[in-house]
Amino acid sequence: FAASAILLVFPVASAQQTKSDLERMLPPTNLSGDGPVEAHARVAPGFAYASIPANPAAPEAKPTGEAICTACHALENDHFSHTIHALGLRAAAQGDPAAPVCEACHGAGSAHAQDPMQKGLIIGFTQGSGTPKKVQTETCLTCHQGGARDHWLGSVHQRNDLSCSDCHNPMGKFSPEGSMARASINETCSTCHRDIRAQFDRRSHMPLPEGQMTCADCHNPHGSLTNPLLKTNTVNETCTQCHAEKRGPFLFEHAPVRGSCLNCHTPHGSNQASLLVAPTPFLCQQCHSHLRHPNDLQMPGSLANGPNPDERLMGRSCITCHAQIHGSNNPSGPRLHK
Amino acid sequence: TALADSGVGVDLWIANKLDPSAGSHSQPRNARGTTWLRPGESRTPTGFLYMCPAESPEIVAGGDWQTHGSIEFGYLGAGGDTRNAIWQRYSDWSNDGLVIGLFDFHAARPSDGSYVDVRGSYLSEHNNYLKGVIGRAGSYKIEAFTRSTPNVLSGNARSIWNGVGTNNLTLVDGLVPGASTPAQVAAVSAAAPERSLQVNRDKQGLGLSYFFDRRWTGYANFTNETREGARPFGGPFFFNFAFADNGGVYETPRPIEDSTINTNLGLRFAGNVWRADIGYSGSFYRSARTGFTYEVPFSLWNVVGGPPSASAQLTSGQFSSEPDNDYHNLRATLTRALPMNGQFSLTASTATMRQNDDLLAPTNCTGTFGIDLVGNGQVGPNNPFLYSCANWNTTDALSRKTADMRIDTDLFDARFVLQPTNALTWRGGLRFYREDYRNTYLAYNPLTGEYGYVAENGSQGSVVPGESGIWNPVTGASIVTRVMSLPLDTQNTEANAGFDWRLSSTNTLGATVIFTRNEPEHRERRKIDDTSVKLNWMNRGIDWLTLRANYVYLRRDGDTYNYDPYEFTFSESLPGFVEPEGGIPAHTVDALRKYDMASRDQNKVDLMATLAPRDDMTLSASVRADWNDYDATLGRQKLDTMGFTLQWEWQPSPLTNASVFVGFDRSKLGIANVNETGMTSDPSLGGSTYTEAGRWWVDDTQRNRSLGAN
Repeated sequence: FAASAILLVFPVASAQQTKSDLERMLPPTNLSGDGPVEAHARVAPGFAYASIPANPAAPEAKPTGEAICTACHALENDHFSHTIHALGLRAAAQGDPAAPVCEACHGAGSAHAQDPMQKGLIIGFTQGSGTPKKVQTETCLTCHQGGARDHWLGSVHQRNDLSCSDCHNPMGKFSPEGSMARASINETCSTCHRDIRAQFDRRSHMPLPEGQMTCADCHNPHGSLTNPLLKTNTVNETCTQCHAEKRGPFLFEHAPVRGSCLNCHTPHGSNQASLLVAPTPFLCQQCHSHLRHPNDLQMPGSLANGPNPDERLMGRSCITCHAQIHGSNNPSGPRLHK
Repeated sequence: TALADSGVGVDLWIANKLDPSAGSHSQPRNARGTTWLRPGESRTPTGFLYMCPAESPEIVAGGDWQTHGSIEFGYLGAGGDTRNAIWQRYSDWSNDGLVIGLFDFHAARPSDGSYVDVRGSYLSEHNNYLKGVIGRAGSYKIEAFTRSTPNVLSGNARSIWNGVGTNNLTLVDGLVPGASTPAQVAAVSAAAPERSLQVNRDKQGLGLSYFFDRRWTGYANFTNETREGARPFGGPFFFNFAFADNGGVYETPRPIEDSTINTNLGLRFAGNVWRADIGYSGSFYRSARTGFTYEVPFSLWNVVGGPPSASAQLTSGQFSSEPDNDYHNLRATLTRALPMNGQFSLTASTATMRQNDDLLAPTNCTGTFGIDLVGNGQVGPNNPFLYSCANWNTTDALSRKTADMRIDTDLFDARFVLQPTNALTWRGGLRFYREDYRNTYLAYNPLTGEYGYVAENGSQGSVVPGESGIWNPVTGASIVTRVMSLPLDTQNTEANAGFDWRLSSTNTLGATVIFTRNEPEHRERRKIDDTSVKLNWMNRGIDWLTLRANYVYLRRDGDTYNYDPYEFTFSESLPGFVEPEGGIPAHTVDALRKYDMASRDQNKVDLMATLAPRDDMTLSASVRADWNDYDATLGRQKLDTMGFTLQWEWQPSPLTNASVFVGFDRSKLGIANVNETGMTSDPSLGGSTYTEAGRWWVDDTQRNRSLGAN
C-alpha cells in the first residue's frame, strides 16, 4: 500500500513541474557558474552545444549559415567535409538549423561576407589572418576547455604565444587522429622541436621513429602540473606507465633511481645503450668511489682484447655484476647483485 | 580520444616504421591545394607552412552510411646485416614475405554524427596492430585495439645455456658448472649459433569516452600488456680483474614473462566559471616468475692460498625478478575563473605503490660456501668463514618472508593566472610533493642470529675471507656489511611567480622565478635548494620572421654535504659491533659529490627562429646551449651541451614539397675521481686511503650530426 501511495503521489508532483520549472528552481549560479543548461541542448545530435564565438574585430556581425560560406569556400568545404568537426557540426545542424557549422569556429560571418578582403572580420587561424592568437585559442576553448587543456593558461606554450592552430588543423584530415597540423603527433611536435626529434635517431631511443609511441604519451603540450609538461605528477610516474616493473618499491633501492629515472637516463635518445646519459663505467663513477672496490680509470687496455681485460669495462661494465641496478627484491641484493 | 588523450594515459598512436604517419603520407595530395581565396594565408601562426591536404576519398554511399577504405600491401625483403639489433629494434624485419602496410576503413552517418574507424597493419608476428573506433560525435566514443611491438635487444647472441626464455638456464654440453675455464667457455660460445634476444610486448586496450552533456564528460580506459622473451642481463658471480682464475665476464639471457593491467577512470566538468577533473589511475604489474637461476661455468679460488674453496658447490647464480606491484593514484583538480581574465587551479593527488612479493632465500647453494680456513670442512666458531648453505638457502633464514614494501605519495598544487590587461599576465603557484616510505627491511637470520646477506650468492665470501656479507656477533663482530634497506622518503616544495608583458602586438617579454626545496631523507643532503630565473622573449616585428628566445639561470645549493649518510644501514650500527683495529674502513671519499645532490650553476639558452623568405618556403633554425658547472672536486664537474638545427621546407605546388634538415650537437661531460691506494679509515682526499697519486680525470665528449632530406 505504501508503495502504491508513492506511485500515486510522484506522478502528480512530476506533472506539475516541467523541466523549465526545475531550471528556474536552480540557484542563480549553479556549479558551472554559467547558468542553466539550455533545454534544447540534447535534442540535436552531434556537436549541438557548439555556439558562435565572439569576434572582437566584428562585434556586429551576424550569422550567415554554412551555405553562404561554402558558396565561396568550396575547396575548403571539400577538405573539411572529411573531418570529425564536420561530422559533428553538420549532424547538429541537421537536427537544429540554427546550429553553427563554419561559424562555430570562425564566428559570425556577415561582416566578412560583406567585405571579404578585410582581415579580421572573420576569425582566422593562420599567420596573417588578422585574428589575435588569444582570440584564436579562446575560440577553440569555447568547446575544448577543461580536461587535458585545464592548465593551458600559463603553460609554456601559451606563454610563448602559440595558438591551437600551430599544432592542429581541423580544416582537413591531415592525420588519422588528433586533427593534427602535420601527418602525426610526432611530426607536429618536431616542427619546432627539431633538435629533440634528432635525438630519436640515436643508437638507443624511444620507439617514436617506429610509429609505436608519441611525444604526447609522456607530455601534455596543453599544459600540466610539471615544467616539462609531463602528464603525470612526476618523472618516475611517467616512466612507469610503460615500465611498471621498475616501480617497486624494492627491498633494496638504488637512491638516484627512486629520485628520478632521468638521473641516469635521457628520455628521448642516447648514443649509449638503454638511453643512458653517459657511458658506463663513467656514468657510475660520477657517484661511486667505494673502498674495497677499486675505482680505477678504465682505459682501452681493459677491454677484452687488451692486455688487462677488466670486467668493470667489458660486457655490461658495472651492471655486469650490479645487474639489478634499478633495485633488488632479493634478500641478498643490497649491492644490487641479485 | 577514448583510450588516452593528451591529459592521461599512453597509446595515443599506433603505427609502424614503414609509415609512422599511419597512412597520412601515402595519400595523394590534392592538386587544388588549400584555398584560392586567401593566398598567402597558408602558414601556422608561428609561420610554418601547413601541409597540403589529401585528395578527398571516394565515398561509397549505402543507406545512411558513407564509407571509404584503403589497403596497402606488398612484399618485404631485407638484405645485408639483417640481424643487427639496432636495425631490428622496434620493427622486427626478420620475416621476408607479404606484409600489409596499412588497411583502413571509415564509415560515417552524417544524420547523427556516428562513425566507425578501423585501422591495422601486419608486418610480422610481433609487429602488427588492429584498432577500431566506434563513436557518435558529441556523444560517445568506444575504442579498442590490439598491438604487438617487438623489442629486439640482440641479433647475434650466442648462448652457452640451454633453456633461453625459461627461468632455469643449464650449461650446454662441453661446459661443467663451476669447473670450466675461460678458454673452454670462449670456445663453446664461439661454436654456439647466433640467435636473437627480444622481448615482445602484446597489448590490448578498451576505452570509453562519454559526453553526458556539454559540461560533463567521463572516461574509462583499460589495457592489458604482456611481455615475453629474453634479454641480455648481467650475471657473473665472481669477477677476476683483481683475482686471477676467478669467475669471468659474461651476460645471461634473462627471461621476461610478465603482464601489466593499467586503468584510467575519470570525470571532467567544464563550465565557464568552474572546471573539475577527477581521475583514478591504477596499475597492476605481475611477473610470471619470482626469479631465475643459471649454472655458473667458472670456478672459484680463494685468495688466501689455502685449499680450493667449496667452489664446486657454488655452481649456480640466481636473480630475483622485479616484484609484482600495485599502484593507485587518485587526483582531483578544481579550477575557477577569476576576475581579470584569470583562473585559479587547485590539484590534490594521493597515490600508493606497494608490493608484498614472496622473497627468495638469501642463496640457493647446497653444502657450504665461504672459505674453509681449518681444512676440515666443518662449519663452526673455529672455522669462521665457512658457512652452511642450509642456514641460508631457505626463507626461514629471513626476518620476514614477504617484502611488504610501500611508498605513499601526496601532491598539492595551487596556481593562478591573472590578466589585468591585454598586455599583462601575472602567474604564480605553490607545489608540495611528498613520498613516504612505510617500511624497512632488516637483514637478520633467525636461524643463526647473524645479520647481513650472502654476497654474490656466496661467491664473494668464497674468494675473500670476511667478504661473505654476513655479520656475526661472535666470529665476525667487526665485519662491515649492509643489514637493512634504505628508506628514501623525500619532500619537495616549490614556489613560483612570473609575468608576461606584451610590449606591443609583436613583442612579448616574460620572466619567471622558481624556488624549489627538496628535502630527502637518508641522502647526502637533507636540504637542496634550486633557485631559477627564466626569461623569455617572443618577437614578430617582421612579417616573415618569428623569434623566440629563452634563457634560464639556475643555482642549486643546499645544506652541508654528508658524503656518507648510509652508516645506519650497515652493521656498524648494530649493538655488539666491534670497531676493527685501525678503525672502520672509509666507505667512500669525502670529496665526492653525487651529481643529483651537488651544488651547481646552470645557464641555458634556447633560440628559435622561423623565417618565410618566400611564400612557398620556410626556414627554421634553433640554437640551444646548456652549461652546468658542478661544485665537485670529485664526481661530475661539468656537463655542457650545445647544438643547432636548420631546416628548409619548400612547397612550390600542392603536389610537390621538399625539405632538408641539418643538425649538430655536442656535449662534454667532465668527471673526476680517485682510486684507493690503501685501506684505512681515512676518507679524505689526499689522505692515506685516497692519495693524490690515485686521482684521475676524464672528459667524455659526444657529437651528433644529422642530415635528412625529403
